[in-house]
Amino acid sequence: MSAVAQPAKLELLEGTTAIARAAILSDCRFFTGYPMSPFTGLLESMSDLMPKSGGSCVNVESEIEGVNMTLGAAATGARAATGSCGQGVALMQEAIAEASLNETPIVIFNMARNQQDYFQCTRGGGWGDYRTLTLAPKDVPEAVEHTQLLFHLADKYRVPTILYGDPLIAQTRVGVRLQPLDLPALPPKDWALDGSLGGTGRSRQIWTWALGKRNAPGPGPDRHWQELAEKFESMAASEQRWEAQHVDDAETVVVAFGSAGKFTEYVVDELREEGHQIGHFRPITLWPFPGEALAEATRGARRVLVFELNAGQMIEDVRQFADDRKAIRAIGGISSADSGLSFGPLLDAPEIRGRIIAALKEEA
Amino acid sequence: MERSVLMVGIGGQGIQLIGKTLALAATESGLNAMLAADYGGEMRGGTSQATAVVGDGPIRALPILPRTDSAIVMHDKFSGAVPERLDADGFLMLNSSIVDPAKAEGDHTLVSLPATDMAREIDAPQAAGLLMLGAFCRLTGIADHDHLVAAMTSLLPPYRAQHAETNSRALAAGAAAVSERDLAAVSV
Repeated sequence: MSAVAQPAKLELLEGTTAIARAAILSDCRFFTGYPMSPFTGLLESMSDLMPKSGGSCVNVESEIEGVNMTLGAAATGARAATGSCGQGVALMQEAIAEASLNETPIVIFNMARNQQDYFQCTRGGGWGDYRTLTLAPKDVPEAVEHTQLLFHLADKYRVPTILYGDPLIAQTRVGVRLQPLDLPALPPKDWALDGSLGGTGRSRQIWTWALGKRNAPGPGPDRHWQELAEKFESMAASEQRWEAQHVDDAETVVVAFGSAGKFTEYVVDELREEGHQIGHFRPITLWPFPGEALAEATRGARRVLVFELNAGQMIEDVRQFADDRKAIRAIGGISSADSGLSFGPLLDAPEIRGRIIAALKEEA
Repeated sequence: MERSVLMVGIGGQGIQLIGKTLALAATESGLNAMLAADYGGEMRGGTSQATAVVGDGPIRALPILPRTDSAIVMHDKFSGAVPERLDADGFLMLNSSIVDPAKAEGDHTLVSLPATDMAREIDAPQAAGLLMLGAFCRLTGIADHDHLVAAMTSLLPPYRAQHAETNSRALAAGAAAVSERDLAAVSV
């Protein structure tokens, strides 16, 4: 990804405001949400900024209503998004599956309270053969890039896409330059239900079952779903993103995603400087999981340490791809603030360092 | 160059406002800044903490700092994050109207300011935190008075705009209270 010239002004923005600005920069025209911490800041920013940019933001009565309104807006061709934390995204699962199967591009911001929504975003809870492309930024500047990329990829593939955020990304204020990413142009939305063919007998249809109309039969569910499966397979092949450091000679590779990946990267850098043969691998797309790259990064490693703030979710994907499955150890775990609304004490560099060092002392 | 400061106090003392003022003033001065806040549901009386990192390049520090090179302590305890995380040769500012400096001795450089008493004297009793911030910025050179005043003013909600003038006085009083001896000690 490269940004266009003419650097934007450095502004101190709270994460949710930065994401809202990036969404508007991406020409998002419609947003819905119901207040849920730490998503609330994004809804507040959107409700302030969307009307000023000519768009609409609706504070809905429930997430089910919100995601379906977003689906409707996106079906007309507008860029549209919704969001919540994992608890609210849980309610959206049916609509996410529908949008995947009827090919409506929407963006979902999961400002998660923790890392316990990995299965939710990578496996999903709807019906049918669908996958949701998910980007997990490590900090606010990356979230600004990912937001733009998610709108682009949603339109490019006509799919729902998800941002996996968290309380640190939502609430930290950071100096950000809001630059538009230099993304390739996309074809016109000739599928959009924009009303232009109303009354002509040729009006368009967006339908999960693709049966079509009497005067214009569609391909039907069997062929439609097979075509969708091929599309998800091609996305899986071409949209994997990751970041790897010091993995070439690493005896130990630490794997982590999102904010946790920023913390583990920091600790791994420290341990490298102290002479440990340790490397770092961070999946940026949770789906598609960068499996081949992980296999390459862990080739020859004696230890693959998975740090995630849950009971063990991403580790299932690591097990599918790591070069040596017997080298894999979980070093994370559930860690929640007393409120349940944020991370607990495990997301802290000294704590992570202690766990990595303990694992290094174990005979691999 | 990257400087970090951990600010701790209790809800209502203005910890979040001084954190935001510092980070915004630094940004408007052309520096990079990051501000991470940690406050629970308790708006008044509970613990309130903020961490700011300021640097001349993109910030590399984590939003939860493993170490900090400076701290501002407003509440009456010297326990928890500050003694655990302050660098041995770090710089600590204490509100000595509330905290006993004898409790906070160590290898770090200690600057005490009776901020609550001083704020009362200039008829700005709610602005002790900003008084500390004025002194902190004079000592570290992170942001000048004009940028601090502009940042603080822009951060006040409309229904508190009338406090801008008192707050500005507190920032100035803090800066003026810094002694040559403190300046020399911190610059070492």
